[in-house]
Amino acid sequence: MEYVNPLTGFRVDGRRPNEMRQLKAEVGVVARADGSALFEMGNTRVIAAVYGPREIQNKGQQVNNKEALVRCEYRMAEFSTGDRRRKPKGDRRSTEISLVIRQTMEASILKDLMPCSQIDIFVQVLQADGGTRSACINAATLALADAGIPMRDIVTSCSAGYLCSTPLLDLNYVEDSAGGPDVTVGILAKMDKVTLLQMDAKLPMDTFESVMGLAIEGCKAIATYIREVLLENTKRLECQRG
Amino acid sequence: MEVEAYRRLFPLAFLERHLGQSIRPDARRLSQVRETTVALGAVSTAHGSALVRLGDTTMIAAVKLEVMSPTAESPDEGSVAVEFHMPPICSPLVRPGRPADAAPVISKALEDVLMSSGMLNLKELCLISGKASWLAYLDIYCLNADGSLFDAALISAVAAFTHLETPLVSVGDDGRVFTVGGNEGKTKFEFVNREKRKLTLGDIPFSLTCALHKDIILADPTSEEESIIETYVTVVVDSSDRIVSIQKLGGSVASMAAIKDCISLAKERRHQLRDVLTNSVEAMEVDQTE
Repeated sequence: MEYVNPLTGFRVDGRRPNEMRQLKAEVGVVARADGSALFEMGNTRVIAAVYGPREIQNKGQQVNNKEALVRCEYRMAEFSTGDRRRKPKGDRRSTEISLVIRQTMEASILKDLMPCSQIDIFVQVLQADGGTRSACINAATLALADAGIPMRDIVTSCSAGYLCSTPLLDLNYVEDSAGGPDVTVGILAKMDKVTLLQMDAKLPMDTFESVMGLAIEGCKAIATYIREVLLENTKRLECQRG
Repeated sequence: MEVEAYRRLFPLAFLERHLGQSIRPDARRLSQVRETTVALGAVSTAHGSALVRLGDTTMIAAVKLEVMSPTAESPDEGSVAVEFHMPPICSPLVRPGRPADAAPVISKALEDVLMSSGMLNLKELCLISGKASWLAYLDIYCLNADGSLFDAALISAVAAFTHLETPLVSVGDDGRVFTVGGNEGKTKFEFVNREKRKLTLGDIPFSLTCALHKDIILADPTSEEESIIETYVTVVVDSSDRIVSIQKLGGSVASMAAIKDCISLAKERRHQLRDVLTNSVEAMEVDQTE
């Protein structure tokens, strides 16, 4: 199948190879949560809610009482994909992504400022069209910022692939299931450090570097957008306070 | 003492000080319901969907249809599977390991009401008698739990079915029925159900939950009020003013007069909700023609 049209250079959804899908973010969508955000990357739509810092509910899980305990759960709604899913949360993919999101956010949260407490990050996928992992991390960053949890830096994530000899930015579901390599990168934006890097399928070394470079560019663009959204939100809160 | 601290430490006294002046902590009158908005077509991957907001309570409902073979006892009927989910994002009281207590109760109540109200005619879900029919999976996710969960869930279920459009279906060479998505092969396949795509809904049920405290009735309680007053009555009426269901699951005793007041409040609410639904359908049609 032709993922990149050889004549025009457009992809299946009309984007250029280094073009990201349309981003849309909204902060404070779940009123009862301490912090929440809705993040959309094209047709992938994700809600993240943060509860915390609050009292530890299960003392058995606490490993280090000088730091906060971060928990994360990733769930997909049963109507989020093309075919209705049977097991939305217990399956291995959800458990793996929960672990990935937790460890990515832990790299940025200043846990030692909140000892003996727990921070819960819950992510719910409403619509899935590729790149759910990245959308979840971006939504979680916004939700943590909305909750006022101290972080080292904004964590953003983006995916990139390599099909028809072209590096492609921000794969959608069709491109993702094409069987080509899929590189997901999560970075701390200003510090320019990589916290998440996942790749499956074979890729020669130099191609890998160009694909990863493209993904990092995507992450930085998302970071710029997230900063704008947070600034808007702060201005709005300031106006409300009067 | 500061107001917020008083509210947390003595919630019952805080509420009763307000009720003494015939007003509620969020400045509503005792029988006033929160603002309700319905948006159809919220989930593009589903065959029918709706997003409902009742004050801060937010529900998203989606219907997905799958082809299955009907049972031997009712070969010309489809079926509906209803499930209500409360994911941990909706409330600080829901923990990941333990599903909320209210979720299966509301699931079952919703299924009972949708079936007994006669809104859905299962015979409409039949494709080929005895061989193929639709199984409609209705999934409702609570995104923010702030009281009156059953009411919001019922409105979202009704709205999702109003928005539902069944996909085109064709019979393959091996006799199996399959759905044809999108515009692919519109001329290639012979469709079984080309004309009838939308379901005709019968009497639509509308509900109202009221909290009963001594002899005061609070319509549409928030989660704060629900946690203080643990007695509620849910009344479901349909468009011909018949009572479909009344649920009062224990709690403190209430007089018949109080129950009758709840029923009349539910009847008033029905008119409001019907307007909200028709407005949302019109709004969607305007969007589609643009």
